[in-house]
Amino acid sequence: MNRTLEQILPRVQKPARYTGGEYNAVVKDRREVEVRYALCFPDTYEIGMSNLGCRILYGVMNQEPGVWCERCYAPWGDMEEEMRREGLLLYGLESGDPISDFDIIGFSLGYEMAYTNVLNMLDLAGLPLRSADRPELSPIVAAGGTCAYNPEPLAPFVDFFVLGEGEEVTLEYIRLYRQAREEGWSKEEFLQEAAQIEGIYVPSFYEPIYNPDGTLAEMRVKEGSGAHETVRKRIVEDFDHSYFPVKTIIPSTEIVHDRVMLELFRGCIRGCRFCQAGYVYRPVRNRNPELLAQYGKAACEDSGYQEMTLSSLSSTDYPCLLELCDDLLDYCAPRDIGVSLPSLRADTFSMNLMERLQRVRKGGLTFAPEAGTQRLRDAINKNLKEEDLLQSVRTAFAGGWSGVKLYFMLGLPTETDEDVQGIADLARKVYFAWRETTPNPARGVRITVSTSWFVPKPHTAFQWEAQITREEYQRRVDLLRDELKRDKSITYNWHDPETSYLEAIFSRGDRRLADVLEWAWEHGAKMDSWSEYFDFQRWMDALAACGLDGDFYAHRERKRNEVFPWCRIDPMVTPAFLWREREQCYASQTTPDCRSRCSGCGANRLLKGGVCNG
Amino acid sequence: MADRLLFSKTGRAKYISHLDLMRTFQRAFARAKIPIKHTEGFHPHPFVSIALPLSVGYSSECEILEFDLLERTSHGEVPERLTAAMPEGIVVRECYPAQRKLKELAYLNYIMNFDYPEGRPQESEPAMEELLGRESLVIQKKSNKAQKGYTEVDLIPLIRSWRVECQSDTMTVDLVLSAQNPGLNPELIRAAFCQSYPDLAPDFVTFHRRAALDAEGGLFR
Repeated sequence: MNRTLEQILPRVQKPARYTGGEYNAVVKDRREVEVRYALCFPDTYEIGMSNLGCRILYGVMNQEPGVWCERCYAPWGDMEEEMRREGLLLYGLESGDPISDFDIIGFSLGYEMAYTNVLNMLDLAGLPLRSADRPELSPIVAAGGTCAYNPEPLAPFVDFFVLGEGEEVTLEYIRLYRQAREEGWSKEEFLQEAAQIEGIYVPSFYEPIYNPDGTLAEMRVKEGSGAHETVRKRIVEDFDHSYFPVKTIIPSTEIVHDRVMLELFRGCIRGCRFCQAGYVYRPVRNRNPELLAQYGKAACEDSGYQEMTLSSLSSTDYPCLLELCDDLLDYCAPRDIGVSLPSLRADTFSMNLMERLQRVRKGGLTFAPEAGTQRLRDAINKNLKEEDLLQSVRTAFAGGWSGVKLYFMLGLPTETDEDVQGIADLARKVYFAWRETTPNPARGVRITVSTSWFVPKPHTAFQWEAQITREEYQRRVDLLRDELKRDKSITYNWHDPETSYLEAIFSRGDRRLADVLEWAWEHGAKMDSWSEYFDFQRWMDALAACGLDGDFYAHRERKRNEVFPWCRIDPMVTPAFLWREREQCYASQTTPDCRSRCSGCGANRLLKGGVCNG
Repeated sequence: MADRLLFSKTGRAKYISHLDLMRTFQRAFARAKIPIKHTEGFHPHPFVSIALPLSVGYSSECEILEFDLLERTSHGEVPERLTAAMPEGIVVRECYPAQRKLKELAYLNYIMNFDYPEGRPQESEPAMEELLGRESLVIQKKSNKAQKGYTEVDLIPLIRSWRVECQSDTMTVDLVLSAQNPGLNPELIRAAFCQSYPDLAPDFVTFHRRAALDAEGGLFR
């Protein structure tokens, strides 16, 4: 281990996150490696190591001869301070070598509040922040993940973005990079060729032209760049033949999701109108249940984990869930391995399943009705009936559960005070359901209602919507709090509005926001998803310093024909479909799920034969 | 009595904390398919216990872990299989049935290395000898129980023997220290040295546990 690092580590909290050397970490012989890749996650080790996507890409790349992918996370403040003082550059965990010497630096972007960490990590690596100030071919800086669906606020810092699932396209651009290096291409030549690979968006090839009112006139394709009019996202068509990380890194220190993660399927059949993941991960592709059972068992054997989670956007929509669970339980129960199912729907089927899983371990019970009245749930296409929810909690309470968490959003399009009060009514009905069914009334019940402030996202039916103002959000919070204050068994939590406002700005932001990011970072912003570091005033100052108005991005309703910063990005769900869904919302009309009837979103065009197997 | 492992913890593994190390062992037994006894109760888990937790950042070649091997595995095959399932830096050296009680583990042999990359000051060696040769060396030790927030401890009775050896840029102190009831962490000796001789404070100090000893100074296993 590097001597400087060894001297620093005794002085920082939780040093094990900075050492590497975990079980299954891949160490290759430098002499046999041609391409070195730093897979960066712009948050702490504990968060980044919990990301399934990164584990997949790590495995995919390290299977490739001549390629060595290492991990890199954002150091916590104490570590950063030591690194800067001792002049230790950001390094790959496996080798300890500075990532500035690597060929490719790839960031995974999961949420907007991590953007300043991208800048901070580039700086800690000793690299110029802006792409234009890094003229050499290497290191080339790439970024992918959910936020890449509107990459514009990060455009000047990143050389190219990768849209959609990375299993195949990552190897394609690594191959191109190898060729570029062998043949001595310039960075510009490499980017021009890379832009020809489906799924790769090179931001420097598109120039935003603004109207006097600050909206976009166009995203102009740079002449001679050869860049495409639109960049289509990538998917793995055959999910049964795509890589699954059976053998994956087992951290030596505790992380957030410290368990086997079994990904049942990609995409979601539901089509909730606020949900970006539900739209951009289409179409649904299921994995074969026998294959899954085999992966799940093998992953338990290799990891020694005592817990497994069946993950997907809506796990209970997996068609063979019962068979899979039985199969897994036969293996897990005798070995004291717990199986958990997040993202449960509140219906009877799910509750029967919960009881089955309880054979091993009893977790918490959480539902997300998202809205308080049936009308609003229909408007957002959250196809959940009140009676289903109540039946589910009755089953749960009768089975001895004594706590339930309910998640809602405030500020959804078309929401009225009646809908807000509906949240309180629903919580009370849940309470009465408990009174009716509990075998143990003396024990009491904990019902937690949590609300967040709705953030409209790109590529959703609500991409044209205004986020309600902060005053209005606060008024609705107060209204609900008032409604619930007499109910002692119901606890009400609401999400801090400050980060939701910034999310609303950056998720639909344009390229001018890059200056805001840089200003905020220069003035100390980093780790903005951590309350220890977050400073709202700093962001307000940053917007002011750059002459931009946050409300313009967050609280402004867009016209149908507005040119969006993400207009060159094509998730293969058409804007016409999204607009139709928006109109359905205003009519409080639901859209059936993909399995019941195809609604013609356009994602089927990504599949050979053009038919989804949802 | 239980079964025991003797293992070393060096290199990158030095920074794994005590709790994380227990979890690492529990998983490693499962990975190596070596069945061990589980705890009873609502959340059964594999039972492991590590004698005399090592401070984070210290290396060791004499750590002891207790557990109960279930049938079908012989002691001889455990070290190799378990080491293969371990993170880098943890090597299982021996596996054997316990024959002595843990409380017979009376002393720990530590090697404390003072680094002076710019050259070691001549006076450091006599200074260390003076410090360790005192009749008594009372220091204040943080304590949550004591009203004052600290207790006073005399280090000298807890030091069974010591030897100082110097080179141009390092000073090595070979210490045999009381292991338990109460034990002495060599960090306190470093702190006392730096307090008494601030001008001679080294750039960096490493700590290594070399051997576990019984009351007579023989190897404990």
